[in-house]
Amino acid sequence: MVTETVTMMDPAGLKAIGAALAVGLTGFASAYAEKEIGTAAIGAMAENESLFGKGLILTVIPETIVIFGLVVALLML
Amino acid sequence: MLKPKQMSRAVIVGHKNILEETVDALHKANLFHIEDFNEDGSDLKIGKPFESGSEVSKKLVKIRSIASLLGVKDVAVEKQSPSEVCSQLDSSLDKLDNELEVLAEKKHVLENELKEIGSSKKDLLPFINIDLDLDLYRGYANLAVFAGHVKENVEPSISKITSSYELYHDQHSGVVVLFVAKDKASDVAEVLAGASFKELRVPVLSGVPSRLLADIEQKEVDVTRKIEAINTEIEALKLKYADFILASNELLSIEVQKSEAPLRIATTESSFLIDGWLPTEQYAELERTVNAATNGRAFVSDQEITKPDIKKVPIEYNNPKVVSPLQEIMDLYGRPTYKELDPSALIFITFPLLYGMILGDIGYALILLVLALAIKKIVSSDAIKPLMNILIYCQVSTLFFGILYGEFLGFPLAGYHGNPGLIPGFETIDLLATPFPGEVIGFPLHRTHLVMTFIVATVIVGLLHLNLGYAVGFINEKRKHGISAAIFEKGSWFVVQFGILLTVLGYLGMLPPVAGIVVFLIGVVMLVKGEGVKGPIELPSLLSNSLSYTRIIAVGLSSISIASTVNLIAFGMIWPPGSPIGGMTIFAIVVFLFGHALNTALSIIAPGLHALRLQYVEFFGKFYEGGGRKYDPFGYIRKYTEEK
Repeated sequence: MVTETVTMMDPAGLKAIGAALAVGLTGFASAYAEKEIGTAAIGAMAENESLFGKGLILTVIPETIVIFGLVVALLML
Repeated sequence: MLKPKQMSRAVIVGHKNILEETVDALHKANLFHIEDFNEDGSDLKIGKPFESGSEVSKKLVKIRSIASLLGVKDVAVEKQSPSEVCSQLDSSLDKLDNELEVLAEKKHVLENELKEIGSSKKDLLPFINIDLDLDLYRGYANLAVFAGHVKENVEPSISKITSSYELYHDQHSGVVVLFVAKDKASDVAEVLAGASFKELRVPVLSGVPSRLLADIEQKEVDVTRKIEAINTEIEALKLKYADFILASNELLSIEVQKSEAPLRIATTESSFLIDGWLPTEQYAELERTVNAATNGRAFVSDQEITKPDIKKVPIEYNNPKVVSPLQEIMDLYGRPTYKELDPSALIFITFPLLYGMILGDIGYALILLVLALAIKKIVSSDAIKPLMNILIYCQVSTLFFGILYGEFLGFPLAGYHGNPGLIPGFETIDLLATPFPGEVIGFPLHRTHLVMTFIVATVIVGLLHLNLGYAVGFINEKRKHGISAAIFEKGSWFVVQFGILLTVLGYLGMLPPVAGIVVFLIGVVMLVKGEGVKGPIELPSLLSNSLSYTRIIAVGLSSISIASTVNLIAFGMIWPPGSPIGGMTIFAIVVFLFGHALNTALSIIAPGLHALRLQYVEFFGKFYEGGGRKYDPFGYIRKYTEEK
């Protein structure tokens, strides 16, 4: 009896863990990608200030990854 | 509105002796974009600057150096008459330069003095507690003098070496001054080294250190006061001459611009040729201006715009005043090219719309609206104003969606399913059931309870936005390469989407499933014909782009989460409603204010950036090329002087 209750996992808890993984991992992924692009964009801007617009767009492009993660988390919960 | 201004190419030709008048007139008219001339091996040569040029640039350099020395900033001042400024320019400039030079020299000397005082003060400080005339430190034949820091008391060890010594020890700072006979000096030095002795430089002064220090400090105060007096004088000069400096800087800049204009112009032995662009509607004005200035001796002609020229046409927006702030957003990405549609007017609607959909909160809308209006009123900078106008447009839309969503600083305004809202007695009205369990559309719309519905709705919004992009792309393509290219390159996307829609309907059993697949395949074939292999590769972007619009709800929900967490901490944990007012109440208020201030700042950045991204990446990707040159007419907008 006892072992059974210990090994039982609450489905709601698993869902929460899944949602957390979805947001957390995609957050890391976006952050990593944005870091790379952001440093390059700042370098380019130092050379030519008018590149701000393009740099900004390029930097936010990987943001989609975490947005998808967030949407997946919302679908799960 | 949707097109940039129609441009004409004009060439002005005349004899060299009327060049100066012509340049003058063009500069004043401020409407002709001069195309810089490059020598191409023909007989045409780049012109030489007018003679006055070097003199004027010398003065300009002088005035700019004075301006930076005085720290004159661009401020709004009354406009001055150029003739007045001109007449007093030389005398005032010389006078100002002389005065400033004298002051700067004096200041420089005093600053050096101050530095010296500082260093001798630093040397003197260690000896301050040893009451010994500094003259006594030097000039002995048989005595060695040690002056420096030690870590421990050295007296016992020295007394072991010799009894004839004189030691002064400042316990507090660890400074010792030791006089011993020269023959014992090396032994004593060893002992001192054992106590990690660090030698100090004895200042070359005479007198008792404490009294000397008082003198030096007095001198320091005097010099500092003198420097301050000079600073006040410089400040007074700045106040007195700021208007003059700004005005003459402007005048001289204009003169330099004019005198250097021939460097952009093609000339021969005795004639000149100015090539350039201007809005077609102003062509008559150009002719009139040039004729008036040269008594009709210069010849203005309208050139036909050839196909290779189209890439070079400078672009001037042609938007109503309401739309013009959005041009900033366009410029950030790149101006449209001549044959392209100018999407400023489309962005004028879609950008605030998407921003509002994301933020949608009455509280933040009001805060940011007030903020934007205040900044617009206080700051007169031309760079800030359009941005504030955009922010205002966005907040109006946010206010609308805030009412629709019924949210105020993260609180729901209306009660829902037994949970009370902020307004007592305001209950959500259920209107329409959705296919998703537990989600009912009503008024106000509770975003937190309608997640699935909103995800689907935002994808639909995205598809509408994307199709608007394809439609604009269709028009662009038609203007550039004709109707058939437009149908295959952009029209095919409509066919593909229609095919997908039919397939879905077929899957739901409303249509024979084959119909959808056939239409889809026709679309793909058209796409391949229009865009080549690249077409089918881009097909998945239809899915990823439209799903990208789910950020509208995702970012919105994250903003609500932050706001409601702040509210929960402030009201629920720290200050439960109904509890007596005390220290925790104040803490709760601080948490509330700080949290919402943070979220307000995020409310500009996150929705703004995401709305911008949806425009730039998803929307523009469907039709926009950009990269047009800015129309930059030869001339100057006067700020500090009146037009002659």
